[in-house]
Amino acid sequence: MNDHLILRVVGKFLIPYVMLFGLYVQFHGDFGPGGGFQAGVIFASGFVIYTLLFGLRSTQQIVSEGFLRVISASGVLIYAGVGVASMLMGGEFLNYNVLAANPIAGQHIGIMVIEFGVGLTVASTMTLLLMMFAERGLPS
Amino acid sequence: MSANTALILSLLIPLIGAVLIALAGRWPNLREAVTLTTAVLLFAAVIRVLMGLNDGEVIGVELVTVFSGLSIAFNTEPLSILFAMIASGLWIVTSVYAFGYMRGTKEKNQTRFYVCFAIALFGAMGVAFSANLLTLFIFYEVLTLSTYPLVTHKGDEKAKAGGRTYLLILMTTSLIFLLPAIVWTYAVAGTLDFVPGGILEGKLDSGAATLLLMLFLFGVAKAAVMPVHRWLPAAMVAPTPVSALLHAVAVVKAGVFTLIKVVIYIFGTDYLADVPYESVAVYLAGFTIVAASCIALRQTNIKRLLAYSTIGQLSYIVMATMALAPFSEIGAAIHIAAHAFAKITLFFTAGAIYVASKKTEITQLNGIGLRMPFTMVAFAVGALSMIGVPPTAGFVSKWFIIAGAFQLENYFVLAVLLISTALNAAYFLPIIFNAFFKKEDVAPAYDHQEAPVSMVAALCFTATLTILFFFFNGPVLELESQIVRGEILNEQ
Amino acid sequence: MLTHLPVLVVLAPLLAAPVAALMRGAFAPWVVATLVSWFSFVCSLLLLAQVSDQGVIVYSMGGWEAPWGIEYRIDFANALLLVLITGLASIVMPYARLSVRHEIGDERSPMFYAAMLLLVLGLCGMTATGDAFNIFVFLEISSLATYTLLAMGKDRRALTSSFSYLVMGTIGGTFYLIGVGFLYVMTGTLNIADLAERLPALSDSATVRTGFAFIVTGICLKLALFPLHLWLPNAYTFAPSAVTALLGATATKVAVYILVRMVFTVFGVEFSFVTIPLSDVLVPLAIVGLLSASSVSIMQPNVKRMLAYSSVAQISYIILGIGMGTAMGLTAALLHVFNHGVMKAALFMALGAVSYRMGGTDLKHMNGLARTMPLTFWAFVIGGLSLIGVPLTVGFVSKWHLILAAMELGWWPVVVVILVGSILAVIYIGRVVEAGFFKEPEDSTRREAPAGLLIPLWILVIANIWLGIDTRLTVDIAEAAAAQLMAGGVVR
Repeated sequence: MNDHLILRVVGKFLIPYVMLFGLYVQFHGDFGPGGGFQAGVIFASGFVIYTLLFGLRSTQQIVSEGFLRVISASGVLIYAGVGVASMLMGGEFLNYNVLAANPIAGQHIGIMVIEFGVGLTVASTMTLLLMMFAERGLPS
Repeated sequence: MSANTALILSLLIPLIGAVLIALAGRWPNLREAVTLTTAVLLFAAVIRVLMGLNDGEVIGVELVTVFSGLSIAFNTEPLSILFAMIASGLWIVTSVYAFGYMRGTKEKNQTRFYVCFAIALFGAMGVAFSANLLTLFIFYEVLTLSTYPLVTHKGDEKAKAGGRTYLLILMTTSLIFLLPAIVWTYAVAGTLDFVPGGILEGKLDSGAATLLLMLFLFGVAKAAVMPVHRWLPAAMVAPTPVSALLHAVAVVKAGVFTLIKVVIYIFGTDYLADVPYESVAVYLAGFTIVAASCIALRQTNIKRLLAYSTIGQLSYIVMATMALAPFSEIGAAIHIAAHAFAKITLFFTAGAIYVASKKTEITQLNGIGLRMPFTMVAFAVGALSMIGVPPTAGFVSKWFIIAGAFQLENYFVLAVLLISTALNAAYFLPIIFNAFFKKEDVAPAYDHQEAPVSMVAALCFTATLTILFFFFNGPVLELESQIVRGEILNEQ
Repeated sequence: MLTHLPVLVVLAPLLAAPVAALMRGAFAPWVVATLVSWFSFVCSLLLLAQVSDQGVIVYSMGGWEAPWGIEYRIDFANALLLVLITGLASIVMPYARLSVRHEIGDERSPMFYAAMLLLVLGLCGMTATGDAFNIFVFLEISSLATYTLLAMGKDRRALTSSFSYLVMGTIGGTFYLIGVGFLYVMTGTLNIADLAERLPALSDSATVRTGFAFIVTGICLKLALFPLHLWLPNAYTFAPSAVTALLGATATKVAVYILVRMVFTVFGVEFSFVTIPLSDVLVPLAIVGLLSASSVSIMQPNVKRMLAYSSVAQISYIILGIGMGTAMGLTAALLHVFNHGVMKAALFMALGAVSYRMGGTDLKHMNGLARTMPLTFWAFVIGGLSLIGVPLTVGFVSKWHLILAAMELGWWPVVVVILVGSILAVIYIGRVVEAGFFKEPEDSTRREAPAGLLIPLWILVIANIWLGIDTRLTVDIAEAAAAQLMAGGVVR
């Protein structure tokens, strides 16, 4: 997309806002529409735009495939880890009530953390998918 | 040692023996020694059980409950001890014979042969001593599967084809007829135990009982009632020791043994007498006898002729059992022994002839009696027993079957017996005559005398047994009459 | 710890999968996968013991009680299935080390083991949960993992079979989802226990009946009932050996469990068999599937494909049992779910060993196997005997109960069909046995499979025989499960 100067400039300008919006959706999911799935996709779309504009190689310099795999695995582990933490603290699996001194705070912490894990996994997986498909068109 | 221990041992000995034989495979002499020792020990264990039975010891072992109250259990009664003794006793003789045969023909894979033989005997013992139909079915299948490698021993195309027919017929009939018969029996009676007087009394209406009987009759294809008999001639591709012990004694006798057990201990002779069309079984068996004898007339291959003769003789037992007369039941039981001695002799001689001269057809036997006197005299004894001429064992059992026929005025049975006796004579006597009184018309491939010593010894021994049985059958009679004691007493 | 057992069985693979995915090489992920499988297996055994003691075990996720929250509800039926899944995983994982190294290579091994763990996760989750939508979630997890695993096969056709399985599997899952959606519309709940309580009042509703149809159809596609089985032969044939071993023994069985849960617990016997004539649909399809799949498998040149068609036939047996709608039929079906899993896994593992040494699983690769790879060959033979239903194997136990169930209903033609299926099994197993015994091996320098493959294989083979004799685990639990399911509704 070397020729499309306008797209590139506007893109560079917009991408941070996209990502910021993604973060907003992520952490306000317990009050409004949002949460990990949506946020992850929005966050990943930032990478999609970047890849479309500047090419796969540039994106790969920012985040490598290996890094993304680690992140996506970690997301799952975070989610499951919260559940295990609940069990260790005496409740059932994923019972957030026991995570903090009072149940409300516990619920808050619980949902935040698991959604964060979800967000991580979704964002990294979407980006990985993008990279997989984009890779096929490139000379190796 | 108690009789129960001996009972368990009689199952374990052939099994452990098989393992030891396999281990001793590399040293032929050691391997044959292990085989012989195993056979002798087995016979000893069976004798101990017999003694226990005669003393009135309570004999019964329950191994494990498989499901729904059905267990693998063993006990013994006159019929089963008879079968066990014949099988184990003749194993000793057959082993001696086999040593000579296998070495004489330089067969390959001898270790596999002896191992499978031992496992087959394990199956036979299991069938003999089973206390219920489930146990019997298990060991019946063990017998089928363990004899398959023996039938296909030679490994060539003919052996493979013969093995295929053998396995297919036996497995198909046992799965399609015998298994549903057993399940049905369980569904109706709630148990599968062998009980004197039967377990079906009052539980099954007569029409269904006829069907059940037919299912058993054709399901137990080892009894070779037509038309499920084809496996027997097909199995003749096996080496002769296999044909001798298994297809004259162990496998086929397991078949008729099963039928007798089912008639006496599952149905009960009284119950069965009330079942309509039960006589169809008698007619089927009678037809088999005559048809088999006719086919035998046209055979030129010695072993095939003997195979068809066996089919006929087995149906003597089936017919006698289904005739439901006390004397014929006893006759059937005794014929298990009588036919075993005589047929094994006949097969032994067939094998001896093959080893000594490579001859397999009856047309080649002119004058062979002069070269192989012992063998052919033994053949004559066996043949006379088939025909039922005194002083051979066959006469004793035929006597009882005829007596049973008179008891119930069953003229069909009498007719069949007469016709078949004539037919047997028609195909056996010419062979004997030609062997001794005709001149050798074609010079044999090479000059030969008798077969190896161990083979001749074996066949002379069994021929002698055939004659001795005529004179010393008292204990056996006494033993077997117990199975119908109630009915005999009632008659009086 | 003991209260958390229901979730631990599922949690362990969930935690392990991403960990395995992050590791490098083949050894570390394998260790993780094996240890986790063993851990889950122990948990499922403890869970079974708990259910035997306490009755139904309920575990509310996140502390939210049903019907608002998702609960895991363990009774005899799913406890048995959990033992099967984790047990087979525990045996296949150690087996996979060599097999995967050979077929997939070190580079993709971490992904492989992660996918295997996700598969186990999905299967266990489906089985343990008591929420209809949660079933769908885990169904998709296991299916996606399966598609990945299938695509890793060596053959190029693995990709296309994986894709066609993806399409069909997604259709099946979607049908199930639609059905659940309909139920949700009518009842407002997704919890199985709650649905069971609310649905009887709504049995006249067209929506509910449509939902039933969608659910049954969707599940029947996943369990490969004729004619929805077209994805199975390709999927099983081209998948890596370890995958086929685990998948072939568990995936369709879990679908059967879901069917049983839906039909008997959610909808109830009354609705499913009286209001909607489910028998009239399932039984004819099962019979046709049984006969056609068995016949087709006789003609397959590739043994793995032959076993795949055989699996379709065996599933038909299970559906036959379910279609009977009686406690006995259901017992037989649940029994066969467990027993077939044990049998088929052993058979596929044996084939994997053959593939390891011989490079393929065509019939010609089995030539002379009795001599070159005797232990593998005999493992195959014993598995084959189990498939035929020879006594002393697990296959016999299920066949017995199935025949008894059919006889109880008086369905004699069905009895014949079941037995014909066994005969067909004799033929297709017999082909392989013949090739192994009689044909010359193509390359007689090949050696027996390595111990790493043989030991898990033989553990399973021995289990085949052990569970065929000591049937307390399988029969007693299957009977208890059937009783619970037939009672319908839910025990709170």
